[in-house]
Amino acid sequence: MLTQQEAKNLIDKAIGYSKLPQCQVDVSWSEDAFIRFANNGITTSGYRITQQLSISSVTEDKRGGNAVVSELTDDSIKRGVEQAEALARISKPNPEDMPALGPQKYPVLSNFDSYTGAARGDVMIPHVKAVIDSARQSSLTAAGYIQRSASVAAVGNKAGLFGYHTYTDSSLSNTMRTTGGTSSGWAAQNSVSLKDINGETAGRISAEKCVRGSGARKKLDPGKYTVILEPAAVSDLVGYLGFNFGARDAEQGQSFLSKQGGGTHLGEKMFPEYITLRSDPFNSKFATTPWGPSLLPNERMAWIDKGVVKNFYYDRFWASKAGKDPTPAPDNLVLDGQDNTLEDLIKSTDRGLLITRFWYIRTLQPQTLQVTGLTRDGVFLVENGKVTDPVTNYRWNESPVRVMQNTLKLTQPMRSQGAEAGSSIVPAIVATEFNLASVSDAV
Amino acid sequence: MKALPDFTRRAFLATATGSSVLLANRLFGAPEDAAAKPNPALEKLAAVALAEARKQGATYCDIRINRYRQQFSGYRLSPQRGSNQTDEVPFVTDQQSFGFGVRVIANGQWGFAASPLVTTDEIARITREAVVVAKANSAVQSSPVELAPTKAYIDRWTSPYEKDPFAVPVDEKLELMHGATLTIKKDPKVFAAFGFLAARAEDKYFASSEGSSIQQYIVQVDPALQATAVDFQKNISRTRSYQVQPLSAGWEAVAKANLAENAPRIRAEVLEHLAAPPVMPGKKDLVLLPSHLYLTIHESIGHSTELDRVLGYEANFAGTSFMTTEKMGKFQVGSELMNIFGDRTNEGGLATVKYDDDGVLTTKFPIIEKGVFKHYQTIRDQAHLIGETESRGCCYADSWASVPFQRMPNVWLAPGPREVTPDDLIAGVDDGILIEGEGSYSIDQQRYNFQFGGDAFWEIKGGKKRGMLSRVAYQSKTTDFWRTLDGIAGASYWQQFGSFFDGKGEPEQINAMSHGCSPSRFRQVNVLLTD
Repeated sequence: MLTQQEAKNLIDKAIGYSKLPQCQVDVSWSEDAFIRFANNGITTSGYRITQQLSISSVTEDKRGGNAVVSELTDDSIKRGVEQAEALARISKPNPEDMPALGPQKYPVLSNFDSYTGAARGDVMIPHVKAVIDSARQSSLTAAGYIQRSASVAAVGNKAGLFGYHTYTDSSLSNTMRTTGGTSSGWAAQNSVSLKDINGETAGRISAEKCVRGSGARKKLDPGKYTVILEPAAVSDLVGYLGFNFGARDAEQGQSFLSKQGGGTHLGEKMFPEYITLRSDPFNSKFATTPWGPSLLPNERMAWIDKGVVKNFYYDRFWASKAGKDPTPAPDNLVLDGQDNTLEDLIKSTDRGLLITRFWYIRTLQPQTLQVTGLTRDGVFLVENGKVTDPVTNYRWNESPVRVMQNTLKLTQPMRSQGAEAGSSIVPAIVATEFNLASVSDAV
Repeated sequence: MKALPDFTRRAFLATATGSSVLLANRLFGAPEDAAAKPNPALEKLAAVALAEARKQGATYCDIRINRYRQQFSGYRLSPQRGSNQTDEVPFVTDQQSFGFGVRVIANGQWGFAASPLVTTDEIARITREAVVVAKANSAVQSSPVELAPTKAYIDRWTSPYEKDPFAVPVDEKLELMHGATLTIKKDPKVFAAFGFLAARAEDKYFASSEGSSIQQYIVQVDPALQATAVDFQKNISRTRSYQVQPLSAGWEAVAKANLAENAPRIRAEVLEHLAAPPVMPGKKDLVLLPSHLYLTIHESIGHSTELDRVLGYEANFAGTSFMTTEKMGKFQVGSELMNIFGDRTNEGGLATVKYDDDGVLTTKFPIIEKGVFKHYQTIRDQAHLIGETESRGCCYADSWASVPFQRMPNVWLAPGPREVTPDDLIAGVDDGILIEGEGSYSIDQQRYNFQFGGDAFWEIKGGKKRGMLSRVAYQSKTTDFWRTLDGIAGASYWQQFGSFFDGKGEPEQINAMSHGCSPSRFRQVNVLLTD
């Protein structure tokens, strides 16, 4: 593991070689171990170290150049700095360049777990075995992936800024399918500590879903349905919402937060009052750093507060033009929940669809945030408060904005990850009027 | 699985991996007087891994020592806050990544380890780590790894290019992109202009315990322009891009792209797109141009014929496939006009290389012949699973730090008869749409149900191309769609578009491949009106 002193030495060395007024050095180092399995056996797996030094140089008249090197010898770093500076001198002035930040006081985050940082096959394989045992007990076929990583992020610049942070992360996901490929179930766990990963639980959940889905699947007509979205599905929608909180796009007519005729929806109550979406880098469930892309200290920030659009993401440049303080990037997202369980949501639904997760989501229209995607690995009909029949998969065309507006109830949030938008802490939700566009024959 | 969404692409461009200039320079210095043999210094390093693996009881070992170089440069022209003044923002980044990965088979199981420290001690250590991984995993294997045979090759190969794109001065590149973006932004009604130029080079060395020693060098370029227009009153925005074929080629391909000449066209077309009426949804005939159709081929045929998906190896991530093994040799995927090849030998293809990351000599093979499914994309450890005796050379990884696995070759659609022109295809359409370029794209995890947008849409009425339309997407099922193919333009209209951002595998790997095709016509496809 790259120590704080080693990281500092690398940064100091690079800055020492620098001749231009500004030089920023980002160091990233990571060690990870992973095991992939399929057809009830391990397929590929590995152990690796990766590292890189990213050097950004800026001239007095705001010309910028960037070079990234992965060999960390003195000569390599020197050549990297020379390369970044040569590019900067050749480039043209960047009117959006911001002055370098001086020393910052970064918060201390608790998201490094030494057990996870040292874990190798001996502690990961038992989880794989547990998943495969669950599959075999139900005559199913399991595929999946378990990984853990230990990472170092360090940053420094010529103006005296320095930061160093270590964090770990881990995950286990698995998919179980029937022999004939007639049903598929999925479950996943994510945590900064591998101690929170439990192969037996993950295997049991996906096996139950797969077995439950193995009966004749109902092919309901496309249309608008009440849906109960499990956290992995909500995580993708919330991620898409988060990506679109930029002040620049909102003010320049290119986001769902832009208003017809000009202006933005900042300060408006667009959502029910029980919708609160915020960034919380201090939540120890997130594998994150004490600073964001701006290098300002990370902080908590509400984007939607009790249904009201509360803040936009202002990077340093846009904030300076708007006369505002910069805000952290909409990362480490938490959607607040309510005191319900998934069972409560199901019980409260007369007729709807319980959806495990989504797949392949892409934007159709920025101003409504209409996106398209598919359901995957478990869709079930809910009738009179009970899960009844398995249902086919669907393509859907819908906006996460409308889904949040149509949300009726939420569970307690948990750390989840869907297929597209990274990890967040979100509840399951029940929402009305979800637009299923066509049947997908995929299982 | 799929090409990456925009935000991932942005993140990729902003960070990416990096690396060395010195040891890497010594190992991968420009091919000396067209030497046919790999650099002995690389062979010496590789020998350490091969010997250590043997000592540790591995039955197979290969090592890849690779360097990747990427340079991104360009301009964004966009309005200042609350004003019509334009900020002209240049960007330029050089990235290098250098390291090695060792793959072994021990106790019948794969093991892999990788490091950026290219020294003999570290190579020996990492080789031992790879054997430890393999032996630990052998406790949970479904069946021992079996490799299809391959010859041992000692060779050195370079992808064809005329002018090294890294040797072109950066100020010349910036000047080119600045000029093109200024042209786009010349009309004040255009909101923003973006010009992007990527150059990529891969130095790769492969040695195996079966006697291969292969050094290869690949050079690729990818220029693009985009215009954005915004109507604040209607609260809509539209884009129009000039997509250029990304190719394994040198700077000559950028010169041929005629960026300066195309900039005024997309300036006019983005405004036409902004004002274009919405499509009337329903069943319509489609004429799809290569800059659009390539992605449809990629998603519906490229991914569905990957053998690892079919056999369940991707079940937890990218998914499986409808093209199950009993369909091989008899299943009618599309119309008889449909002839599709897997090919890692065609000049200019982004997946073109002489040897794959299994050390197998690459090849061209039919995937679909007269509409019938013929062959899967395979690698050495899969061939026996479908009763075949050799790999089709589709093994590769996106980095020295990634495990090589089955990835897509260039998958291309053969052109139609020489005399057929795009105008002929349009002339045969009474009510349809001509589509160019990439828009949104999405397909299910077994490659049945897809929905594609595009970059630009023109109405076809009574056999004639009319004005632009907006808010178009089409939705279909792979086999339904390809069975309606009833016209393909001739070879002179064949173009090779492709993607640098195809994701698959866990941990996810991002690779590049091309999908050549000529303009093609599809009948009565379900067209939707999007928001």
